[in-house]
Amino acid sequence: MAVSDRIVRWRYRLVPDHLLGEILTKRWVDNAIPLLILVAVAAVFGWLIPDFFSSASISSLMRQWGEFTLIALALMIVMVAGGIDLSVGSTFALGNIVALALLNVAGWSVPAVIAATLACGAAVGLVNGVLVGYLRLRAFLTTLVTLIIVRAIVDMLLLKYSVAIAAAFVDSDLWYYFGEGDVLGVPFSVAAALAVALVAHLVLTRTRPGWQVLAVGGSRRSAHNVGIPVRRVICLTYVVSGTLAALAGVLFASRLGGAGADTGVGLEIAALTAAVLGGNSLGGGRGSAAKAIIGSIVVMIMVNGLVRLGITRGGSSLLLGMVLLAAVAIDVRWLKNRMKFLSKVYVSPTFAELPPAPPIEGASPYAVNDRLRPVEAIGLDRIDGPEDVILDEDDHIYVGNRTGDIVRFLAPDYTRQEVYAHVGGRPLGMAFAKDGALLVCIGGMGLYRITRQREIQKLTDETNRSWFSIIDDSRLRLADDLDIAPDGRIFFSEATIRYEMHEWPVDCLESRGNGRIIVFDPNTGKTQTVLKNLVFPNGICMTHDGRSFLFAETWACRVSRYWFDGPKKGTVEPVIPDLPGYPDNINRASDGTYWLALVGMRTPAMDLALKMPGFRRRMARRIAPDEWMYPNINTGCVLRFDESGRVIETLWDLGGESHPMITSMREHRGHLYIGGILNNRVGRLKLDGADEGWTGQKSYWGQDAARGRA
Amino acid sequence: MIGGLGRIVDNLLGRGEAAVTVPPLDGALRPNRLLDEGTTRTPLDGVDCLAVQGGTLLAAAGDGIFVHGADGRWIRRSTWPSPIACIASIGADGLAVALASGDIVVEGGRFDGRRYRADGASACITAVAATGSHLFVANGSATNGPGDWQRDLLERNAQGSLWRIDLDGGSVERVADRLAWPAGIAVQGGNVVVSEAWNHRLIAIDPAQPGKRQVLHADLPAYPGRIAPDADGYWLALFAPRSQLVEFVLREPAYRRRMMAEVPQPYWVAPNLRSGRSFYESLQGGGVKHLGMLKPWAPTMSAGLCARLDGAFQPRASLQSRADGSTHGITSVVQHEGMVFAAARGDGVIVSRPAATSGADQGAGR
Repeated sequence: MAVSDRIVRWRYRLVPDHLLGEILTKRWVDNAIPLLILVAVAAVFGWLIPDFFSSASISSLMRQWGEFTLIALALMIVMVAGGIDLSVGSTFALGNIVALALLNVAGWSVPAVIAATLACGAAVGLVNGVLVGYLRLRAFLTTLVTLIIVRAIVDMLLLKYSVAIAAAFVDSDLWYYFGEGDVLGVPFSVAAALAVALVAHLVLTRTRPGWQVLAVGGSRRSAHNVGIPVRRVICLTYVVSGTLAALAGVLFASRLGGAGADTGVGLEIAALTAAVLGGNSLGGGRGSAAKAIIGSIVVMIMVNGLVRLGITRGGSSLLLGMVLLAAVAIDVRWLKNRMKFLSKVYVSPTFAELPPAPPIEGASPYAVNDRLRPVEAIGLDRIDGPEDVILDEDDHIYVGNRTGDIVRFLAPDYTRQEVYAHVGGRPLGMAFAKDGALLVCIGGMGLYRITRQREIQKLTDETNRSWFSIIDDSRLRLADDLDIAPDGRIFFSEATIRYEMHEWPVDCLESRGNGRIIVFDPNTGKTQTVLKNLVFPNGICMTHDGRSFLFAETWACRVSRYWFDGPKKGTVEPVIPDLPGYPDNINRASDGTYWLALVGMRTPAMDLALKMPGFRRRMARRIAPDEWMYPNINTGCVLRFDESGRVIETLWDLGGESHPMITSMREHRGHLYIGGILNNRVGRLKLDGADEGWTGQKSYWGQDAARGRA
Repeated sequence: MIGGLGRIVDNLLGRGEAAVTVPPLDGALRPNRLLDEGTTRTPLDGVDCLAVQGGTLLAAAGDGIFVHGADGRWIRRSTWPSPIACIASIGADGLAVALASGDIVVEGGRFDGRRYRADGASACITAVAATGSHLFVANGSATNGPGDWQRDLLERNAQGSLWRIDLDGGSVERVADRLAWPAGIAVQGGNVVVSEAWNHRLIAIDPAQPGKRQVLHADLPAYPGRIAPDADGYWLALFAPRSQLVEFVLREPAYRRRMMAEVPQPYWVAPNLRSGRSFYESLQGGGVKHLGMLKPWAPTMSAGLCARLDGAFQPRASLQSRADGSTHGITSVVQHEGMVFAAARGDGVIVSRPAATSGADQGAGR
């Protein structure tokens, strides 16, 4: 290997490029930028103000932060549903004055005061909600108006009661506990804010009302179309918002005990900044309690930091406004470009060097010939894409097709066909179980079983999730081929965990070990991954010793053997490390050897590109998929090999005249049946000198099992 | 400095020079199958160049010149010591035969038997065109021979030159150089029109002011080759299609270098006169056969394409053979006795069809 190749290989081994794309697919990545801003802001102010994070400083900040966070959460809930509530500052002031007036002047008990204050806030929210939700007025203007009206009411109340409030003295420990008490060492307001945040988080992520709110914010029309009561949901978000703002007002009243004309002035802008800075989208549909909390911490640090730096009120408002502007800009650009960016970085090819390809002429066992020329076509132009072919003891042919059926061609002449079962996904590898049920790997669905009574049963569609995998790899995306061990365990391959079935060319472009082999145990119903990081594992075939199986890795052009039992349990050994083409399915031959389908041939230009990941990455970005360099899957062949890896014979059809494209083959009673995933036929070839009585079922389950069933 | 930075940014983002866009086949070049359907096909292995001498259609293939026999077969008329690079008529009955060695021999006519040579070093003659007194010769590349045109493209060379030879006196003069594989010449008035293949354009050069080059048609969707005049227009052979993948490879110097060093030439990612014969050639996504069929729109490294140009060298009509066609790699087109003859070197066949149904009537008159 050249030095430059070695450098490239280490570069791609050490830097896992694909993780960037996988991280970007996660929803929590929306929090990444706000979190970075938080760290930056904390660092800057911690550096500018020496004892900014001292405990005294922190505890005075904490109580303010609790109240402020409640407001930010209120705004977040409205924003997630696609609205905006500018009246939170006024409602906060209203809550403050109402609580103080009821307590000090009217002399109500504390619980009654709180209930009444919250009801008051809810009433303001209801006004907003009815106007915006039911009458469908513009949220911005409506809440701007309520801001002014509520502020006017507060001013009138102030005029009337401020003197009385200031003169009275409340003798209630409970009341002062809200403002000055601690819960488990945490200021009460902080505990309240965290509790509300937790509830909001659970509601938004785990409950029906929360999903409805997110759905309405994401797309109002779609939400309406699926039957969500959009108007009611929107109205309720304003009610919740008003209630939370009033709650913050109560806490404020308890803490300071006084009412002033400037209570809550400008709070809506600060809360809005917090919500947007945290990553809650102004457009709705994206937001969380965590985001509101992050945003409120940032704003709190900034506002207090600026005050302590001695910057005048005007200056800090100016800065807050600038931050809001920047946050909105980032929000818009991020939303707009995230998927674009993701699509550019998700595909991340890696260094893959294949061993030199063996020759295909002269004395080579791969030498080109025309032995597939006499193949007859079954179901020509009446079947679309039979990936795998299997025959039962009555000689009927079963194949999958592109439209999600298992089609059966009826013996003896195969001119009649019927839909044996409609499974919906893309049927790929098939095998008969001991009881005669047909087991199928279905692309996009998982491992299924079709009984003799044509009943379709799901065996498994998920496996254990890997601890350190970023994308959720528990769901099966592309179950490919399977085989059954003598004890009934089903081993099957999943070609890739990063792409869907129709995106296989992209996986080829990556040529990373994205695939795995999974075992399903019907006795326990458990599914477990047994081998990971395989390069597009495809065909699987049990060896005759009942302790191991052979498997093909398509883009790695090799066949290996895995022991799942016996002394070599858990080991993988190469069988054929250097195929001249891309292996697909493997099946047993009548003489104890194995058939292997090569779906396509390696090309020197592609082999070179595999060693140049940067070239492939740029290719994926710059040119259309139809123009990408592909593995040459227009010409393939069938070959026979034994357990030692010796290739015995190769059957070619050069030019693909009789049978274009080969992905599988199955020997049955002296004939070879050939399938191809993009083909329009099933091929049938008479094998010279093969055992005319041999069938796969007898080979797997013995003479009796096969006969007993048939 | 700014330009350099701009190029780096372009390269990073695939914009500007680094964009790999190929113009679509549209307008007069809209896809059709006129080279495959409704034509008379006469095989001739290795056919490269067509010319008319004294009313007879001649075809050059390998080291021989062939005439069209009565039974439709091509009959060898003469054999030459080295492969023939191209042929062109001189006056009514003369024929200039350019050999791969760089020599140009005249057969018949006023200059019968005369030998010329453009330049000691020019051994890559791609096209010849004669006026009454002069011969214009295009030398494709200073470093690569005619068989190495793919290498010349992948090296992104522009080392071709245009020469003028005085037929009487034999004096030789270089009219222009630094041309990106000049592959065809037509003389119009005082100007020489050259098809500059690697720049996918037709340019007019005035021999009196060779520095000034006027672009007649830019950004062709294929690599233009020989140009043949007739009564009211021209036939332009476009010997291979451009493709996004090749344009991309051309912008990947590291891959190009390694490909030329490590991959056998027939399997390069490069335009070709005939592709798809070997499974060692790389395949493109759209070229995967579905249900046993190669789609006609599949991206391809070879195709059949020739264009009818009007007097101003603008395309008016075209004859094509698509990805699944069987008339690829058109290296020469001439119109003769009301028929259009196209030499498909990629498939070793000469196809002909009536000029009237081939767009020839839509020439300069329109």
